[in-house]
Amino acid sequence: MTSYVEGSPVKALIVEDMAVDTLVLSTMLRKFHCEIIVAKNGKEAVQMFLEGKKFDIIFCDKDMPVMSGPEAIEKIHALGETHVKIVGVSASDNAQEAFMSAGADEFVPKPMKLDVVRAMIQEVINKKTNDMV
Amino acid sequence: MAATMKLGTLGHAASMLSTGLLDEQFQKLLLLQDGSDPNFVAETITLFCEDGERTIGELTKQLDKRCVNFDEVAAFVHKLEGGSATVGAQRVKNTCIQFLEFCKEKSRDGCLKTLDTLRVVFYDVSGKFKAMLQLEQQQAEATK
Repeated sequence: MTSYVEGSPVKALIVEDMAVDTLVLSTMLRKFHCEIIVAKNGKEAVQMFLEGKKFDIIFCDKDMPVMSGPEAIEKIHALGETHVKIVGVSASDNAQEAFMSAGADEFVPKPMKLDVVRAMIQEVINKKTNDMV
Repeated sequence: MAATMKLGTLGHAASMLSTGLLDEQFQKLLLLQDGSDPNFVAETITLFCEDGERTIGELTKQLDKRCVNFDEVAAFVHKLEGGSATVGAQRVKNTCIQFLEFCKEKSRDGCLKTLDTLRVVFYDVSGKFKAMLQLEQQQAEATK
């Protein structure tokens, strides 16, 4: 997998309250040399943006305590953060509609597949490379 | 299969796969384990067992209430459904899907009955996972 800039990994935010899902996704992202930050609910994720943190991609669960994924996505967009790729992730049947209505770029059902994660990271890298040209 | 897992452990996993307790997702997890994440499978199944036990506890409390909030019950079931899908615990996942139907119907009896089934299925798979981890640890000690 090509990096867009040597020594500049893709910054990924995982928004997930279930430790097992966080561990599996983190392990997949580490294989692509991503820099990973974890938020345990939507409110923590929004707080990170309020603190000025920047991410290239967000993987966001739907149902979480304090603040749900779709609600967090709406708030993140309201902050003007429209450059970051937002991926909704859930095992629920009705999650796709909720995520896309909230403004997610993509929806991926659980369990996540390594090939799917790889393709998404490569897409982010390609976009960053094109933006730099 | 992951080169870092011992043959006995893989045999244990194969048995769980052949009986339908696990599905091919578990095989994909095994492939994620390598030298840079040598304890990945052990950590994953440990977390699944801990999260699952906590969720079943919460479901018991929720269904014990005089006035059951079926949306809250469904949210907990979705969590366990997601976790079981992630580790490939097929029977747990399928039981969660049945559970969600009873939540939609707002059937307390249906939910209670399915919770009993869920307990049996979950503790079956988590017991076998724990046995697998113990075997892995014993084999690791033996080769030191």
